[in-house]
Amino acid sequence: MKISVRQICFIMFAYTAATKLLLFPTVLSLDCGRDLLLPALINFVICGIVVWSLSYLSSRTEKTFFQLLEGTFGNVFARIIYALFAVMFMFAAVLPVFEQKQYVHAIFYDTTPSFTVFLPFFVFSVYAASKKFTNIGRCADICMPIFTVCIFAIFAMSFLEVEWGNLMPMFRTPANRIFGSSLGTAYSFVEPCWLLMFMGHYKYKKGDAAKITFSYAGGAAAVLLFLAVFYGIYGAITPSRTFALARISLFFPAIETMGRIDLILLLVMEIVMLFAVVLNIQLAVHCIASVIGVSGYGPVSLAVNLAIGAVVVFTSNMYQDVYTVYFKWLWIMFIAFAVAFPLLAWTLKRRRE
Amino acid sequence: MAKGKRTDNEKRNMKEPPRGEETLAAQKEKSAVQPEMQNDGEERKPQKNADGGRDSKESAGRGGCENKNGKTSDLQENVKSVKSVLTSEDILVFEFESENGKKFAAIFADGLIDKQLLGELVAKPLRDAPKDAGYGEIKLLLASPEVKDGTDTAGAVKEISGGNAVLYIDGVSDYIIIGVKSPPVRAVAEPPTQVAVHGPREGFIEDIKINLGLIRKRVKTEKLQVKTITTGKKSETAVAIVYIDGVCPEGLPEKIEKEINENKIDIVPDSSYVSQFITKRPRSLFKRCGTTEKPDIFCAKICEGRVGVVVDGSPICLTAPYMLVEDFQSVEDYYITSYRATTLRLLRIISLLIGIFLPALYIAAQLFKIQIIPFQLLLKISSSVAGLALSPSVEMFLTLFVLEVLNEASIRMPKYVGLALSVVGALVLGDTAVKAGIISTPAIIIVAFSAIGLYTVPNNVETTTTLRWLFLIIAGSLGPFGIVVLCGYIITYLVTEQDYGVPLVAPFAPLIKNDLYDGLVKADMYTLGTRPKVFNTKDKVRLKRLKTQKSSGGGKDK
Repeated sequence: MKISVRQICFIMFAYTAATKLLLFPTVLSLDCGRDLLLPALINFVICGIVVWSLSYLSSRTEKTFFQLLEGTFGNVFARIIYALFAVMFMFAAVLPVFEQKQYVHAIFYDTTPSFTVFLPFFVFSVYAASKKFTNIGRCADICMPIFTVCIFAIFAMSFLEVEWGNLMPMFRTPANRIFGSSLGTAYSFVEPCWLLMFMGHYKYKKGDAAKITFSYAGGAAAVLLFLAVFYGIYGAITPSRTFALARISLFFPAIETMGRIDLILLLVMEIVMLFAVVLNIQLAVHCIASVIGVSGYGPVSLAVNLAIGAVVVFTSNMYQDVYTVYFKWLWIMFIAFAVAFPLLAWTLKRRRE
Repeated sequence: MAKGKRTDNEKRNMKEPPRGEETLAAQKEKSAVQPEMQNDGEERKPQKNADGGRDSKESAGRGGCENKNGKTSDLQENVKSVKSVLTSEDILVFEFESENGKKFAAIFADGLIDKQLLGELVAKPLRDAPKDAGYGEIKLLLASPEVKDGTDTAGAVKEISGGNAVLYIDGVSDYIIIGVKSPPVRAVAEPPTQVAVHGPREGFIEDIKINLGLIRKRVKTEKLQVKTITTGKKSETAVAIVYIDGVCPEGLPEKIEKEINENKIDIVPDSSYVSQFITKRPRSLFKRCGTTEKPDIFCAKICEGRVGVVVDGSPICLTAPYMLVEDFQSVEDYYITSYRATTLRLLRIISLLIGIFLPALYIAAQLFKIQIIPFQLLLKISSSVAGLALSPSVEMFLTLFVLEVLNEASIRMPKYVGLALSVVGALVLGDTAVKAGIISTPAIIIVAFSAIGLYTVPNNVETTTTLRWLFLIIAGSLGPFGIVVLCGYIITYLVTEQDYGVPLVAPFAPLIKNDLYDGLVKADMYTLGTRPKVFNTKDKVRLKRLKTQKSSGGGKDK
């Protein structure tokens, strides 16, 4: 087996949380104010159910998703579906890469650096995406403790400054805005698709479905707590605070005397974020390699990264427009792939080997 | 070879063997301490052959005629055939004859054998050899505990080159190989690279036999296996593959042997050559083979399931498969309390990280993100760097470069010049450069701290120094994000690497819970009761605590 259940759990916890700590809280607070936890909670609950159902599906079959599709509809159909998944993963990667670029430029540099500063990301991404699931799992083994320590330290540095009253009264935002926000941020909730790709690549044992689901719930809890702390600190001005992760611990008293020690934590956490962002690219590469039937991922990885890099480079000044497209239109695609397809996987022919 | 044709050097040396003031017992004891290198000497058998000592070896007869295999029983002819191959002047021939007129010739490499031993164990017993004594009879007369039969000239040449003496007998075509090897070796001493306050102080030396003895002294089990092979077309260096049968994963010693045998190189002067043979990725920036100079560590490692490789001529022994975490495990960690060991281990890891990243972070902070530096410290740094002619990155490069030069020079220079080097390096260069406004005081402090930090894990200094340069370059050019990306790249690279099925960064990736107790932390002896799971050994338990039956309340044992 290429990846272990433990590694999937780590991915579900650390990467789920790491991809939702930059612009996601700002967007939610902009839409829903102090009710920013609700749209996130809705998404987490829906995805949690899908995650549980997919992990449970693994107990019924040892086949990969590709093999299930192939067994039911034939090889060509399976390839088409995987090609569509590849496109979805590439779309899912573009916005986080954008976010990363903005975040890196804004937080790690005093003056606005040139675009070339971010280009090494793609060099790394080409290398990382050329590796297979074994490598993804092992990277998660390294990232999980790093993420846990860093997020715990950041929470510790920010808890003292939280005004919990800022979150009250809740449930004042109209339901349509909450659901609209929930749908608009669906691009950030592709975790069920990760699990769909890992299916058949790990050995299921009794209780693993619960482990994976609880790990996902752990990641969700960390994000929800983060949202609460973020809004608790900034209150009504939260929507104007981008890159929440870098803002949350700004008022830690020791920073005055010791400097921005939180920046060290952010730098370390950025390593985890890189791996989390690259995961979508890795899975896109995996899908394309399955479609064209190659075993070496190197050239595919190069091609995928060039495509994503080109989009990021040529639309670097159009972040707002790109985001609008994702928020207003692409949610349909993400919900179809992250919710509908995984649930439909139950209808595929399976036979426990 | 006729006596008249010998060189003066040979004549001088040939007179030495019979003289000896040591007793035979003492010499035998000495020979036991220095056993035969080729490990193929057979033990003396006390019983004679059925024919009273004569055997088929005398087939060539007494007349010096050639037999059908082209071998001759003529002593001079045999000596001549060996000398025609070994033409060097340090190959000596010691010819002597018994009181009854039986002639012998011992051929050996000067400096590699103990001549006194040769005299006592060979020449002296053969003094009484009868004129018509056969091969078997003569062999039984020898007092040497290590003798072996030889037939062809090529074999004789090999044995002589390997440090053994070869004894030709007049009238016999074959020869006897005698283990009287005594190559120049230094004493067993504490290795300078792995000094320990607690624990054994013995270290390996350059002699493979002594090194194997040091291992056998500690691991007395019959399951300790030593397989000796040779590598190097010219050097024919002996390499011993050491493992414990049943503990070592099946097939691993054979795989390592195969890797060594697949490399045909002229000379193997050190174990570092062999370490590159047995690694899958010899061009890797990271170390791929465990090294140690201490027999206690070597034995502990082979008891965990690794294979050890001892190379003749090198005091550094190898262990494989290798995991990166090994170099964070110091010698003393296992001889002190687990609390102290854990503290020291964490200290080592933190120091190493500081050593690698501090110069890069300093540069990145100065150039790109000044907020990372505390304000008061920033004021100090600002006052120090104000007026500096060089940019922060060039300044750091220069300081680090000087450090590397000083480091290199201090290792190569004679130690008597070392003091002068310290004065020139520390005072003249450091102090004057600061006063002259070429480099700043913070840069010197950071580089010094970094250097100290890296040496907390001395076995990995080559790698960590290179990493420090890489991070410095990337921090100076790309800033903090460059550091992050390089970290990501290194992590991806490290988790991909594995030799013989053992991942380089195990037990962290993949995470092996059981082995974590001897990873970042060092658990107590009883927690480490099983061997590392990563090696997948058959015999998994290394410590079993038997429950003692406690006495009952009445004080009587049941």
